[in-house]
Amino acid sequence: MLIRRLLLLSITLILLLAVLTTAEAQPISMTIEGPSAAAPIAVSGLKNLGGDESQELSSHFVATLSRNLQLSGYFKVINPHAYIEDPQASGYDLGQFNFSDWSSINAEFLVKGAVSIKGSEVDLVAMLFDVGSQRRLMGKRFTGGPNDVREMARRFADAVIGAYTGTRGPCDTKLAFVSTRGGRFKEIYVSYFDGDGLFQVTNNPTINLFPKLDHSVTHLLYLSYKSFQPALYLVNLSAKSEVKITSDHGTMVGGALTPDGSQIVAAIEHNGLTNLYLLDSSGTEIRALTSSPSINVGPAVSNDGTQVAFTSDRSGRPQIYVMPIGGGEAQRITYSGSYNTSPAFSPDGSKIAYESRDGGRFDIWEIPSSGGTPVRLTNGGGSNEAPCWSPDGRYIAFNSTRSGQSRIYLMLASNGNIISALTEDNGDDSSPAWSWWLGD
Amino acid sequence: MIRVQRGRGGWVTSRMELTRAAAMAVMIAALAIAGCSSKQPPPNNGAGTGTGSNLNSSGVGPGGNGSLGQFANGTTGGQGPLSDIHFGYNDYTISPQDGEILKANAKWLTDNPNAKVQIEGHCDERGSEEYNIALGARRAQAAKDYLVTLGVSADRISTISYGKELPVCTDHDDDCWTQNRRDHFVVTGS
Repeated sequence: MLIRRLLLLSITLILLLAVLTTAEAQPISMTIEGPSAAAPIAVSGLKNLGGDESQELSSHFVATLSRNLQLSGYFKVINPHAYIEDPQASGYDLGQFNFSDWSSINAEFLVKGAVSIKGSEVDLVAMLFDVGSQRRLMGKRFTGGPNDVREMARRFADAVIGAYTGTRGPCDTKLAFVSTRGGRFKEIYVSYFDGDGLFQVTNNPTINLFPKLDHSVTHLLYLSYKSFQPALYLVNLSAKSEVKITSDHGTMVGGALTPDGSQIVAAIEHNGLTNLYLLDSSGTEIRALTSSPSINVGPAVSNDGTQVAFTSDRSGRPQIYVMPIGGGEAQRITYSGSYNTSPAFSPDGSKIAYESRDGGRFDIWEIPSSGGTPVRLTNGGGSNEAPCWSPDGRYIAFNSTRSGQSRIYLMLASNGNIISALTEDNGDDSSPAWSWWLGD
Repeated sequence: MIRVQRGRGGWVTSRMELTRAAAMAVMIAALAIAGCSSKQPPPNNGAGTGTGSNLNSSGVGPGGNGSLGQFANGTTGGQGPLSDIHFGYNDYTISPQDGEILKANAKWLTDNPNAKVQIEGHCDERGSEEYNIALGARRAQAAKDYLVTLGVSADRISTISYGKELPVCTDHDDDCWTQNRRDHFVVTGS
């Protein structure tokens, strides 16, 4: 009971803070404290209101919702074998079931719902209940096709996390990454945040690197050696087309997409020097961003599309710099450590996550994007590299060799606590890129 | 979006985007067809991708004797007539002893005036992939500049960086890292 009171208190405080912040007309910070302890939640099967006699849709919804709630770190899903109630024999809204069936298995929260399918039209209702206070906290209704049920579950997971923390969850998103799971070659893949819907973008026996997504997951940019010389490729995932991006300035080393997918910040090498250029989506140069007799690589564009962070060794060692995308002076951000690379802006632009060398390995740090004191997020456990942020700003995905092979891990941006490995396969996974939310 | 009210205990209704799901299914099928088997170099997996070699007409590249070609084909090859040189960590300066190797390489190129060479810059596994591609390019350029000062025509020399992608040694120790920080010289025509 004490824990539950504390939770309610913390929820109340978060809501209160949100109200106060709104009253002062300040933007609500996208970074809030992460979970200190996972709340036990029961995810009941969906009541069949017609057409889901096999409970296939219900099982897809429950499995996907449970995985996403677990991945968030905020919830621990109680094993369904412990559930007393038969969802088909009871109702799914207030007054139609007994909260005691759920309090007796120590559930603090409960998800119930119902589904029907007529023709190819699925109608799905899901609700979140606070078991202790016997209140309904939130409900949503989704309609769509049978193949949309897992996506409905991810959106409902975001709503559950939102009801619990005051900030929408990160589940209704996609990740692009590099993997050797298909064999020896680094290929580009895209999947939903929870690993569902895995889609292999490239298939060539060379080297494919640095996938970047725009907000709408319409465009994917990557570097490939598939035409022997490295070049950037801009895939239009909707139009099923791909444009090869080359430059008269030299050889492509890497790049980043602006959030709207309309422009590319490309790192282009010429005579051993690498500089950044802003290109349009056909590869036509808009402007040179850097013209330094040094290495300038690893660009990242801020969420509002106005700033570029990158790595430069103009001081003699690789350090993180920030400059306006419209051109101008680059400001050096990192001064601690002799080897800092791979910057990534937090969604609100206030922070940059990056990797810093420590002996033969790397750790993830974050620093205010205007400069300041860096904060260490990972500490050992193999090499930790290539950070990217979730759109809600609470999570950072990165690749780590802490389990031997390289895998993508999820940690809290607020304190570096590792939640889970996001990928578990036989290959090496690296270079995660996190999309914006897919739905509204 | 159909209805109604938002907020605690309230309802929010949303319609899934059927068109997007359908488009994704078509796209997966199309790209799966467009992608080629890993046994069929040269690779080509989409509109606008070039399939021709950017090196020279001898067909070096995947299928040839460069590091990428050997990697693609799963083969390992000999050193060839030109010797590798090596670098310090995050460094692209050429040591005096490697200068002697470059002099020998320059002599071979002078004795074989029709030969062309591609210099591959490589790095050890530490550091970001992108920074290492840029660093490997600096290493390749450093050797090219050195060969040019020794009288080898610049138009006989091309450069490419593979960053840390194609190591010759895969252990995670100083010995391996030292071997991997290298310029590799591939004769591309003679």
